[in-house]
Amino acid sequence: MASLTPFSFRAGKSALHLLDVRCKFFIICLISMTMLKASLPAGFLYFLILMFLFKKAGLNIFSTLNSIKYFIVLLFFVFAARAFSMKGDMLFSFYGMSITKQGVNEGLLVAFKFFLVMLTGIIFSATTKPSCVKSAVQWFFKPVPFVPEKRLAIMISLSIGFMPVIALQARLISDAGKARCADLEKNPVKKIIHLVLPLLKKTFLSADNLVLAMESRCYSDDRTDPEFTPSGKEILFLAAGFVIALSFIYF
Amino acid sequence: MNNSKQLKMTVYTSLFVAFIAIGAFIAIPIGPVPIVLQNMFVLLAAIILGPLWGLACVGIYLLIGLAGLPVFAGGTSGIGKLFGPTGGYLLGYLPCVFVTAGISKALGKKLSTDIIAMVIGSLIVYGAGVPWLKVVTSMTFEKAVAVGMYPFLIGDALKIIAAAFIAKTLRPVINL
Repeated sequence: MASLTPFSFRAGKSALHLLDVRCKFFIICLISMTMLKASLPAGFLYFLILMFLFKKAGLNIFSTLNSIKYFIVLLFFVFAARAFSMKGDMLFSFYGMSITKQGVNEGLLVAFKFFLVMLTGIIFSATTKPSCVKSAVQWFFKPVPFVPEKRLAIMISLSIGFMPVIALQARLISDAGKARCADLEKNPVKKIIHLVLPLLKKTFLSADNLVLAMESRCYSDDRTDPEFTPSGKEILFLAAGFVIALSFIYF
Repeated sequence: MNNSKQLKMTVYTSLFVAFIAIGAFIAIPIGPVPIVLQNMFVLLAAIILGPLWGLACVGIYLLIGLAGLPVFAGGTSGIGKLFGPTGGYLLGYLPCVFVTAGISKALGKKLSTDIIAMVIGSLIVYGAGVPWLKVVTSMTFEKAVAVGMYPFLIGDALKIIAAAFIAKTLRPVINL
């Protein structure tokens, strides 16, 4: 079931799975910040690296693409919006709207960058346990004053844990609705309510059970700090992350 | 707030963070263009959780997105998204959730007052998002409103009405 959503963690023993989560966090922040500046060749090179990492992490790129197919459609709209709205040398006209060469280039680049950011996020979620994310958040926020880092960390970890559960429940409720001819419902407000209300009720009941479980195990913010186990390849990955970030900025 | 209540709010807030993130993935086919439920969950978080926990909820959602998890609309993430054309809408969620929750609480959490609160909250999001869109894309203000606000108003109205009914039914169930 966990493989049903792009957010889910998939167990494995690849270098990415074993990499210290703080290192992964740092690299992903660095890449997502510098991606704005990336050119098409640098982006393509990074895409090849991502494909290599997908393979090494044991992730199937085709099933991943299938799970984000709606976003790929959305990327097409991003591309089309740029292609139609940007001024420049006209390639051809379509119902009074002109597509420009500069618009096509810019649209392709922006859509490609969004796609790369999406794949980077997916590979991070797929190779990182929610509990490790919690530990890393706690570690990063420890020096920040007035932020209850332990509570923040547990909330982030819980949120990441809830995401695949909600996505799966939404799909099940939607399928159950379709089986009962909910598609024929014309009222849009009823359509929303019929999906969201059972989804919220179900997940809040699960959340209540979780609260009970945490209470019965005497959960409190005063817990032992997490321990990190570096894999020894952190320096290599950090160096690679910096090289990629620099290539985005300068090429 | 006692420990038990605090733990409950912690879990519920985390749940709403997940809902806001997943809201971008849940599309309901209404007409030719499906609507996504992300902003509806932001408004629901406000009227269910209240001002402070609602604010924490949106803050954590933005933090997760900034850290690189694909939770922003379109499955994107990163600080670049925040400085991009839609960054204003994302940052607008923070005052939106606080004001919506404040109004809902002050007016007594009724169906009609929830609708008023959510309308004001949505206007705050547009108030932050449209000028940001104008500045980042160098559009005229009219064009920014035409592409960044008008197309979404009908969908937003439907979501607000649905959210008000959902909140009315949900409140007794979760007993906050």
